Amino acid sequence: MASQGTEKALALLRRLPRVSLGNLKPNPGAVKSARRGRGIYGGKTHGAGSKGSGQRQNFMRLGFETGNTPFYLRFPYQNYYKGHHMRLSYAPLCMGKLQRMIDTSRLRTDVPVDITQLSATQLFSINPMEKMGGIMLKDEGIDHFQATLNLEVQWATEAVIASVERNGGTITVAYYDPISLQAALNPMAFFKRGVAIPRRMLPPQNLIDYYSDPKNRGYLADPTEVARERFVLAQKYGYELPDIRSSPNQEMLLERKDPRQIFYGLQPGWVVNLEDKVILKPTDPELLEHYAS
Amino acid sequence: MAGALSLAWGVTAHRPALLRQVLRSFSVTAVRNQETGAAVAAASIDSRKSPLILDEKFPDSNSIVVPREAWIETLDTSAASTQVGLIHLHPQVFGANPRLDLIHENVTWQKKFRMVNYAHTKVRSEVRGGGKKPWPQKGLGRARHGSIRSPLWRGGGVTHGPRAYTTHFYMLPFSKRLQGLTATLSAKFAQDDLKIVESLDMPSDEAGYLEQLCENRRWGISVLFVDDSDIMPRNITLASDTLRHMNLMPVYGLNVHSMLKHETLVLTVAAVRRIEERILYHFRRPDLPKENMKRFRM
Repeated sequence: MASQGTEKALALLRRLPRVSLGNLKPNPGAVKSARRGRGIYGGKTHGAGSKGSGQRQNFMRLGFETGNTPFYLRFPYQNYYKGHHMRLSYAPLCMGKLQRMIDTSRLRTDVPVDITQLSATQLFSINPMEKMGGIMLKDEGIDHFQATLNLEVQWATEAVIASVERNGGTITVAYYDPISLQAALNPMAFFKRGVAIPRRMLPPQNLIDYYSDPKNRGYLADPTEVARERFVLAQKYGYELPDIRSSPNQEMLLERKDPRQIFYGLQPGWVVNLEDKVILKPTDPELLEHYAS
Repeated sequence: MAGALSLAWGVTAHRPALLRQVLRSFSVTAVRNQETGAAVAAASIDSRKSPLILDEKFPDSNSIVVPREAWIETLDTSAASTQVGLIHLHPQVFGANPRLDLIHENVTWQKKFRMVNYAHTKVRSEVRGGGKKPWPQKGLGRARHGSIRSPLWRGGGVTHGPRAYTTHFYMLPFSKRLQGLTATLSAKFAQDDLKIVESLDMPSDEAGYLEQLCENRRWGISVLFVDDSDIMPRNITLASDTLRHMNLMPVYGLNVHSMLKHETLVLTVAAVRRIEERILYHFRRPDLPKENMKRFRM
């Protein structure tokens, strides 16, 4: 249906004279006269100012600063900032703080701990617009770390991985593109927008190697190779690798997201309606193919 | 005139049902066509017994479409009635915002973009003579001059005069040209100056027949007939050949200036569907920047 303005305009036209070549005019201010200033107030200098290159129609080139080295020539090339817009930064979280969060019940351990759970603690300010990729784990306090978790962060070092796996937990390193990250950080705000859940994008070229490496427990790596690396790391650091299959919360520890998935239990393409408490799923085969790809 | 035709511009929900009821009460079965004009043109004028109802649903739209309704008329005065059917028009084409400022921009552009100004004046260096200093700098008590052809002198060059060939070519942005067309079509439709005919087939090839037809139906002083093809039926071509105020045009020649120049615009069903298809394609095409097109969407 057309907007109210359009309907009113068309209704008005029915009563007005016929639109013809003789009664058209431009919007006020749209057409500016190209004439030189003439007459009493446009006269004397005729819009050219007084003296100087302006009045003498011999204009200075753009950027010229009447002799001193201009701004655009003052600074040499700086390779320091080259590609700075593509480099991601991560909010640091040390293992000691993670342990403290769990001990003070700020963070739940009975569900997989991903970026959504960590941002719900409201202890981090992650802004995807400021080229922040998510959370990175630092190895300060790994000796005191005792919790068994299913962790999913955006960056982790070897020592951190070892400290998590020593306690019978699992750790995965996963990439979230800015739009997916914004959705994951505040799911309720995302659902209120009423848009379909997007597919998570793959990492950029400079990060794809990191996330495909089993040594980093990358989410794109081969699971069998990851299992092998778990064993290798246990050998390196000298701890007994606990058997996850025999643990009581085995299901929770082994739960993994699809590389294209943002939220646990929700697939790309679905629309979550908070008002009516329903989930709308697409039925068109083209859409299903797109979201499944 | 106002009674039947003002019903054609129906916006409220109950009017389409009412119109259809009226038409069906006169016929055995209603013909439902959703094809292009080719099949419509194939049926000859006299053989039709039932009304031509072209209630296109426009299924490809993203949002709800409430179509505009219009009568389909015939150029055959021997037919039982002037109106032979009903057609649904897409609101984005025929019910768009009648932006008069965009119509003005389009008309100005059409006039200016092919304009070449041949006016030419000579600059002081081009005027014959004036290379020598007319008199010495000092001593004579006269004003100092370097050339007899400076702009200060009578017969001297013109400083900022026209310089041939000044072209005024510019391309109005695509979205403005597109919306100019929809605005003009909508304005014409709203002011009852848009008539839809099933085809341009006429029984007679005399100019008088066409003139009388337009006179009887109060179809403006000037009429523009638009069809999908550029080879028009014989009779109407001969009839309008001598009449300078009745012109034939293919769809690809449709432009804002011509539509406003002629008081009445007569489109065939084939032309209507072709115009809708083309304009809607351009509104929806993925390669144009969506931000640009967003401003011009309804």
